[in-house]
Amino acid sequence: MNAILIDNHDSFTHNLEHLLAAHLGHGPEVVCYDDLPHLSPVGRELIIISPGPGRPAEYPGYGLWIDSGIPVLGICLGLQIINEHFGGRTDRLQHCVHGKTEDINFLGQTQTVARYHSLYCSNLGTGLEVIAANTNGVPMALAHRNRPIMGYQFHPESFLTKQGGVFIDHALQSFGIA
Amino acid sequence: MRYNHSVSLSVQAFTALAYRLAQDGQADLFLSGSGRSDETRCVIGFIPRSELIITDRTTRQDIKDYCFGTQEPTLGFISYTYGLKLRGVKTTKTTDFPLGHLKQYGAVLEHDLSTGRGEIHGPDENAARKLAALATAQLDMPPLFASSPAKQVQQSLTQEAYESGVRKTLEAIRDGHTYQLNLSLKFSRTAKDMDMPGLAMDFWQRHPAPFYAFFNSGTHTILSTSPERFLRVTDGEVLSQPIKGTLHFKQYTPELEHKVTSSAKESAELSMIVDLVRNDISQNCEYGSVRVEGHKSTFIVDNLVQMYSNVHGRLREDSTVIDLLLDAFPGGSITGCPKRRSMELIETLEPHTRDVYCGSFVIIRGKRDMDSSIAIRTCWHDSRTDTFSFHAGSGIVVDSAPRKEYRETMAKAHKFLALGKS
Repeated sequence: MNAILIDNHDSFTHNLEHLLAAHLGHGPEVVCYDDLPHLSPVGRELIIISPGPGRPAEYPGYGLWIDSGIPVLGICLGLQIINEHFGGRTDRLQHCVHGKTEDINFLGQTQTVARYHSLYCSNLGTGLEVIAANTNGVPMALAHRNRPIMGYQFHPESFLTKQGGVFIDHALQSFGIA
Repeated sequence: MRYNHSVSLSVQAFTALAYRLAQDGQADLFLSGSGRSDETRCVIGFIPRSELIITDRTTRQDIKDYCFGTQEPTLGFISYTYGLKLRGVKTTKTTDFPLGHLKQYGAVLEHDLSTGRGEIHGPDENAARKLAALATAQLDMPPLFASSPAKQVQQSLTQEAYESGVRKTLEAIRDGHTYQLNLSLKFSRTAKDMDMPGLAMDFWQRHPAPFYAFFNSGTHTILSTSPERFLRVTDGEVLSQPIKGTLHFKQYTPELEHKVTSSAKESAELSMIVDLVRNDISQNCEYGSVRVEGHKSTFIVDNLVQMYSNVHGRLREDSTVIDLLLDAFPGGSITGCPKRRSMELIETLEPHTRDVYCGSFVIIRGKRDMDSSIAIRTCWHDSRTDTFSFHAGSGIVVDSAPRKEYRETMAKAHKFLALGKS
């Protein structure tokens, strides 16, 4: 599968690359966000938008990729970029969480996931729905109702997430590319 | 022709030899101490025969060519400032400290403190014979360190300014720019004729730690008393041991270790850096090989309980230890996370340069063998200016209290600050 992982200068991108390699059977192509204007989504089969520092507004240029019709998976900042693309909003989380775990209900099962975020999706973009939230109602996973687009606020690639592969498999199955 | 000679040295005899060699000015010392029972190997390079001084123009290939161009081990350091260049972080600060300095030697002594056995080898027979003769001679033990009279210590940030820096960091965390950021202070004072060999051996005996380095670099004599390993590679097996989570004590009790490991704040600090280190070694490790073992292990150094983890991986066949080192440099435990944005913030928050502080001391033995430390608890003397300098810092996370972080920073600086006060 021709998968591309776009790195927003984050320090967890290669953890995500290794996790994806375990579930795709090979590693994705990893490119730097700075090179985005010189790249095209044409010919890709899966696009992954990495975590990263700051707000989605600092990362213009993803519209072409998200609207390409190719499956898109966003992690943390990547999820927030997807949400803002569809008109959603990002705000400061009242009690931000870094390097800590939390149990969430994901598709009827309890999953221990690692959280690293100061910001969260405070308003949902058009067409997106929450498929998992924490007990305070903070969105933890979003999916587009009729397009192959999904994102996780938590970090499946963290060593603190007990079954990170479950979330990659779910995305691939939802996109019909498992 | 290589020269090989075995020696047997008691701890006392080795200490006397190390002191004599430190005084000699032609030796660089990488010493383990009793800080961790599994770190007992010491390496001393004697009579440098070549060197590579890293500058803005030095390329990765230059470093590989130097280190891998011979079978001899390479000893030296790379500075945090070189890390700014590697990570593409702009700085407006100037420094005349070398960006890095690597050396190869006429002879090398490798000694294991636990067995008392040592091996001298090297390409220069004269150097090796001279070192062997010194190793079997009756040498004087280092005297008690006689510090120069107490002098006014300059701090790069006052307590108020440091705490203000912590508050600015907390705002940057709430805005999502960083999860954790290491904020440091620089201390300096004039110290004419500072006895650096005496200080090195005095500290090594009174404040043992696994990754001591005593290194001559031009007019700088550097002493690192680091307890932290950055990256070790043994036949391609990678190990990093990041430290986070600190508790200062006056009287040790076993409950102190539980207090650190059960703290949600300290655990989160370590976990963030473990994820960062996993990422940084993953760039050059085989898929599926990166794993964490012994998460939240503890050890004691300098009246501090410190927490660490073991992050393992397998170096890719097409990578070398230089690729691993430079792609992972500087160590995440002294930048923060995400690394590049945290380093950009550090540049705005710290008025000083870090130079070798938060860089790494390295022993490179080949393409798949290396050991390196994080150069914390590090000081140096510059003979041009008769200045003695050191730094200390603390990792700031969202639930950090500015006053408490300042106190932790001063606790880490204590053994250097106390010099000249006794």
